Amino acid sequence: MLETEFQEHNRFFLNMGPQHPSTHGVLLIVLEMEGEYVLDPQPVLGFIHRMHEKMGESRPCQGFMPNTARMDYVCALPYNHGYVSLIERKAGIEVPKRAEYIRVITSELNRIASHLLWLGAYLLDLGAFTPILYGFDDREHILDILESVTGSRLTYCYHRFGGVYQDIDDKFIEATRAFVKRLRKRYVIYEKLVTKNIIFIKRTENIGIVSPDMALRYGMTGPNLRGSGIAYDIRKNEPYSVYPEFDFEIPVGQQGDCLDRYMVRVREIEQSLRIIEQALDRLPDGPIRAKVPKNIKLTPGDCNFAVEAARGELSYYLVGDGTGTPYRLKIRVPSYSNLSCLPELARGILLPDLVSILGSFDLVIPEIDR
Amino acid sequence: MAKPNKDYKNDFFHQGFDSAETDYHQRGYHLEIVLNVNQVRKFAQIAYDLGFYIVFVAGLHVRPVEGNDKECSGLEVVYQFARYDQLYRIKARVFVPKSLKVPSISDIYHGADWHERETRDFFGVIFDGHPNLKPLLLAEEDSDFHPLLKEETNLKSLDEVSWQPEVPETTEKKAKAETEG
Repeated sequence: MLETEFQEHNRFFLNMGPQHPSTHGVLLIVLEMEGEYVLDPQPVLGFIHRMHEKMGESRPCQGFMPNTARMDYVCALPYNHGYVSLIERKAGIEVPKRAEYIRVITSELNRIASHLLWLGAYLLDLGAFTPILYGFDDREHILDILESVTGSRLTYCYHRFGGVYQDIDDKFIEATRAFVKRLRKRYVIYEKLVTKNIIFIKRTENIGIVSPDMALRYGMTGPNLRGSGIAYDIRKNEPYSVYPEFDFEIPVGQQGDCLDRYMVRVREIEQSLRIIEQALDRLPDGPIRAKVPKNIKLTPGDCNFAVEAARGELSYYLVGDGTGTPYRLKIRVPSYSNLSCLPELARGILLPDLVSILGSFDLVIPEIDR
Repeated sequence: MAKPNKDYKNDFFHQGFDSAETDYHQRGYHLEIVLNVNQVRKFAQIAYDLGFYIVFVAGLHVRPVEGNDKECSGLEVVYQFARYDQLYRIKARVFVPKSLKVPSISDIYHGADWHERETRDFFGVIFDGHPNLKPLLLAEEDSDFHPLLKEETNLKSLDEVSWQPEVPETTEKKAKAETEG
């Protein structure tokens, strides 16, 4: 917080972004500064706005599938999962158990990949170059595994109404098991390299404290909320798919500073590994896709479906009109609400702390702009 | 989850809101509340006091009710709230009058600030009392262009996009089911 007196003559505006390395995409933040202190940071959005909602309303619901992966490209499979589950709820489609298991395994792998990318990029923001190389090394294994079944490395379109695109094979299972083993070993390295690093702790501890009331007013969700000590995870609180069948915990922080948000994400990787292990052990046999009519009719009326994406609550809200095209499709993305607290959170802090806060929020800009 | 699930229907019903329980497994939310324009702020305040967090604010464009064109713009603002401590989702909707003005709740729920700006971008709803109702996702020069407004040919009436009341099974169908079963 400000310790020096206000000095009107020292006031100036600073544009951070849209190509700043620590804004992780095309985000512009107009900062009103006084010396090195931030007085009023105002994010400017919309540089990569593509109007996904309009696209969703102007084509049959199957045609929107590829779009889902292009909002949050870092963690695309939960976006697939949410959309197919929404249409399945609306059209009353039953999904085979094996397909749900495969969806969970792939979504959790994608979640780990997202957290690893964030971990590297966050530390890069804070001036540590090495962790991103380790993070990308591990993430590369996940991309290879996912590529073998989905056919793509980033913008997946793997889940389908009533199931998944293709079955996983023994090679996939073997590679995933090997990866789980590998990442557990790498944990020790991350611990030594980052978590106990004194410079890292100094840059994150007691910085950007989000109180539970503030989280509620802004509708924050995901690890950013759990860092503040509220154990809210859609996978547990609003169970969907086959998540209730797995034994896992929701890591929470204590006071809601950048360090807590970091710790929550790192511990979440371990929980995702646990879910993957259990899912692989109990993977049922059977079909991977239900019989689904070629032209899905969306009955009149609205319907909501929420899933836990890597950054928080993703809600699809659909209004049907009896045809196969959604009459209205609203996509509630987590980063949008998470970032909106920035002007309040970052008032009166030092500029380097703003970089730390922005990084700890794990923003994906295409998701915010949609 | 071992925690008991509290039902919030009465909390809103007793305050004079038109609320109805809905089938969660079908719709994904528990309570639907229809507000009039004057109730929006009161509703938001109660939701905040009860500890709900804001999920989103969105718009919906339907055909205005015939004969009521003067008061009804055909727009509807949809609010969704949920809880951190238990599974309970509320959907509230308010019909936007011809003046396109709806009271802003951005001083109660600060997160509504951006959602309201987005709804103004996409639908042109004016949120009365919003401190900074400038374009957010769209460009400043497009501030009078609202992409999610439907063309006349695509417009449907509210009845056509609402849940139909369940039709009781006709005796003919029942008899058929019995003979088959």
